[in-house]
Parts: sequence; C-alpha cells; structure tokens
Amino acid sequence: MSGFGAMKALAKRELIRQTRQPSRIIASVATPLMLWVFIVGGFSNAMGDVADAGTSLTAYTIPGMASLTVMFASIFASISLIQDRHDGVLRAALISPAPKWSIAMSKIGAGSLIALVQAIIVLLALPFLGVSLTPVGILGAIGALLCISVALIGVGLAMAWIVDSTQGFHGVMNALLMPMWLLSGAVFPVEDAAGWMRVIALLNPLTWSHAAMRGALGMSDAFNPFLAWGISAGFALFGAALGIWAISRSKKP
Amino acid sequence: MSALDVRDLRVVYRRKGEPDRVALDSFTLKSDNEMLALLGPNGAGKSTLMGVIAQTISPESGERVSPVSRHGLSIVFQTPALDQLLTVRENLQISGALHGIPKGEIESRAVAICDELKISDRLDEQVRHLSGGLARRADLARALIPHPTLLLLDEPTSGLDIDARRSFWDSMQRIREHLGMTVLLATHLIDEAERADRVAMMAQGRCVLVDTPTRIRASLGERVLRIHTRNQEQIEPIMHWIRSHDREPHRIDQTIIVPDAQSIDVRSCPIDGVGLTIAPPTLEDAYSIRTNEGALI
Repeated sequence: MSGFGAMKALAKRELIRQTRQPSRIIASVATPLMLWVFIVGGFSNAMGDVADAGTSLTAYTIPGMASLTVMFASIFASISLIQDRHDGVLRAALISPAPKWSIAMSKIGAGSLIALVQAIIVLLALPFLGVSLTPVGILGAIGALLCISVALIGVGLAMAWIVDSTQGFHGVMNALLMPMWLLSGAVFPVEDAAGWMRVIALLNPLTWSHAAMRGALGMSDAFNPFLAWGISAGFALFGAALGIWAISRSKKP
Repeated sequence: MSALDVRDLRVVYRRKGEPDRVALDSFTLKSDNEMLALLGPNGAGKSTLMGVIAQTISPESGERVSPVSRHGLSIVFQTPALDQLLTVRENLQISGALHGIPKGEIESRAVAICDELKISDRLDEQVRHLSGGLARRADLARALIPHPTLLLLDEPTSGLDIDARRSFWDSMQRIREHLGMTVLLATHLIDEAERADRVAMMAQGRCVLVDTPTRIRASLGERVLRIHTRNQEQIEPIMHWIRSHDREPHRIDQTIIVPDAQSIDVRSCPIDGVGLTIAPPTLEDAYSIRTNEGALI
C-alpha cells in the first residue's frame, strides 16, 4: 500500500483531537501573547527601536512570538506520540501494514497545520503595529514558520520515541528549545549581540528562520536571504528525516 | 499454508547488568481455522510469541513461515487500542485506512461488524464515554475491520467484570461463525481456554502440551484426587501414601494433585485435617501439573 491513505487518516485524527481539546489552542496562543506583553512592556522604553529598519520592539518581537507559538504547538504535536504509545493506538498503527513513515508524516503534517493557524493569529497583530502585510510577506512568513514547525516536530518525535514519560519529554525539550529560541533573534537582534553570543546565534538554525521571516515581511535585511532560506529548508528536512528515521527503525512499543 | 506456522523460535531478552532471560525456547506451533488458546502463567512467553507473530519482536533463531505479511493480521491487546477522544466510527475508519481498505468498504464493514457485536447504536459516541465492556467490543470491531485471517487476542478480557466478559465471548463466537478465521488467544484464565478448539500450554518459554480441552482432561483419567495440606509436615506422609497406590503425585505448593485416582480409597488417608476432593479432571488440573513440572518433588 502507498501509505498516503493511512497518513491522511492519521492526520485527520490529529485534527479531530485538536478540535476536541480547545485548551491546547488557548495554551499555545496565550502563552506567547502574555510573554510578548511582558517583554515589550518591560524593555521597549529601555531599548527603543531595534534593527536597521528602525522597527519598534513591539513589532520586532511579533515574528519571535509567532515562532514561539509554533514551538509550543510542535511540542504538543510530538508529545502526543507518548500519549499514543500509552493508549495502544501507536501499537495498532505499527502492527498494521501501513508504512511507518506515514505515522511520522501524519504527526508532522497535522501538527504543522495546527501550529501555522495559531501563529498566523499572532502575525495578524503586525498591521496594527505599523508593519503592512503583503501577500508575498504573508507567504514568506508562513514558509519560514512551516520550516520551523516541520523541524521541531520531527526532532520532537525522535525525542518522544526515546523518552517514555511526558515529564521527561517536557524537561528535555525545554532544555533544548528555550535557549535555542532565546538565541535566535526572537526578542533582540542577534547581529548586534556580543561576539560569543553572535557566534552561537549564527550556528542556531532558528536564527536563520527568523531572518527569512523578517526578510519576507520587510522588517530586516541584515541576513543573506538565500542563505536564510537554504538553512531553514535544510533544518526542516533534517527534522522530518530524523522523526521518520526514529519511528521507522525501532521496535520499541 | 496454515494461517499460523512458527518453527523452533528462540527469543532471549538481554539487559545490561542483568542475566539473560529466555522468553521463548524451541517453540513450534501451527494453527489453521480454529481458536487456539495459549495457556500459561505470567512470564511464560505468551506476549513475546504474540510480538514475534506481529513482527514487533525479532527472534534470535527459528522461523515464522506464516503469517507472511501484516495484511491478514490483527491484534486485540490487553487494553483497548482506541483513541478515547474519537468516536467508535472514527476509530474504525482509521483502522480501515491503516489496512488500505477503501472508504465505502470500511463503512459497510463497520456497520456489519458493529451489528454483530451489538454496538451499532454506539457508533457515533466518543470512546471515553463507553463502559469498559463496550470499549472492549469496540476494540474488537477495530481489529475485525480488515477481516483478518489471523486474529491475536492478548488477554482481551483482563479487567472486565463477569457480565462484560461473557458478552465479549458471545460476540466473539458470533463473529467467528460469520467471518471464519484463525484465532490465537493468550490467557491465564482456564474458563476462557475451555472455549478454544485446542489449548497450547506454555511454561518457561516452551510449549509443553497442545491438544483439545477434552483430550487434555481425559489424559488425567476418570477421577483426580486433590489434597489441600495445611503445613509442610503433612506433605511427605501423603506423598508416600499416594505412591503406595502406584500413582504419581504432583505437588503445587501445598496442594497435591493425583491423576487416575478413581481406585484410591480416600478414607485410608493417613493424615487427618487435610482437604480431600475426588472429582472428574479439569483443564486447571492439567494446567497446574504441566506448568509446574519443574517444581515436582
């Protein structure tokens, strides 16, 4: 069998589950919005305008909050693998003739769709903060956020495959993702950061996804767009491949 | 070709810092168009065998001649493998899609199977709102959607009350009459094994006996004597008394079972105050004797 039918059915399941747990949507959007209010409220007077385009901190941090929304949604998407394992749903899927990549791709596909819908809600704040949204800008932002969600869900699936408990998974993902997000230009421009921090930020693939997103939205041209898009796409491919590989190779459940 | 054919399987669990544990050893089993019960205590290797058949566990040696693919195979696990937030119908649609069955066909199969299992009025209810017994039947429906040629039941009624268990087995009986398939049941419940066409008794990873329940019972003679002792001191004189009748006693903890005991006069028992029962043999007698043979005196 091709596996696309199985992938579609499993992805549909994820979407149905999402609609029946509205608290997940609220948590994914509310947390970044609250963080945004606190960061902007605390730092905007001290920092003034940021980046070479003279964008206000209020607007500058919106793409970062959109990526944080995607990050939370990605954690929810990959943690559901642990839940599926405990419920036995995963065992039934693994024993079926459906190819294992279809299980990983259903999580990545549905998880990304959910993450993007939530992130777009955050991005809709931009026109109210002086940044006009063009169709190309919106498509570019969606593309960059898609790269982030595919990569993070893939990495999360690989992690969820190894870690048995949701508590352990949260610990590992927070330890990995929060520093990654903070050092990615989400809340301050890394091009102006101190030397060592700048080096770390440039090695961080999320930095390039933020650069691609801000470039598309016309908020910054500090990074080479080809490099930014290349690294973002490569990160997404790496994450997806890692997630598929983890689920395909192991006989854990 | 038989629906199930495994030969000379050996599975060893190796963990760092722990001694190797042999889960299956020289295990051979064949079954076709019947219900075969795997009867054995916890740790006998029943679930490992299920894992090998389902291709989630690779044996160290031996071969699995059939099933050759996962298309004709389904499993009912110890707990339902259903998404609690989805309705029964949605769960069945996913099971069908995982087996590559067209949408329309899934729907007609779902209706027919749920009719047979008497849960068609619950098709559009979320699984989390079903009772334990109904959820098990819904899980059975999930496993039946692909019309498997081999259905594995891994202790499918664990945790169910008596009524729910009876309901489950009544449903299973109806389904078998309609669909016709090979069923492999892993259980440690004697009354469930009695429902099977044949019983394979397992102990320490080996298959120690395979036969029909009737023939297994008959192998113990017309009557079995069961002696329940109160303490260790009572055991040796009783064993001696049994042997004086040219019978072989089988000791399981403080209980002694004696097959072919119809000619023993229980009034001649040398010890007072022990519980003596002489009765037709049961599958439980055979199970106790065969799975405890390593512990015999």
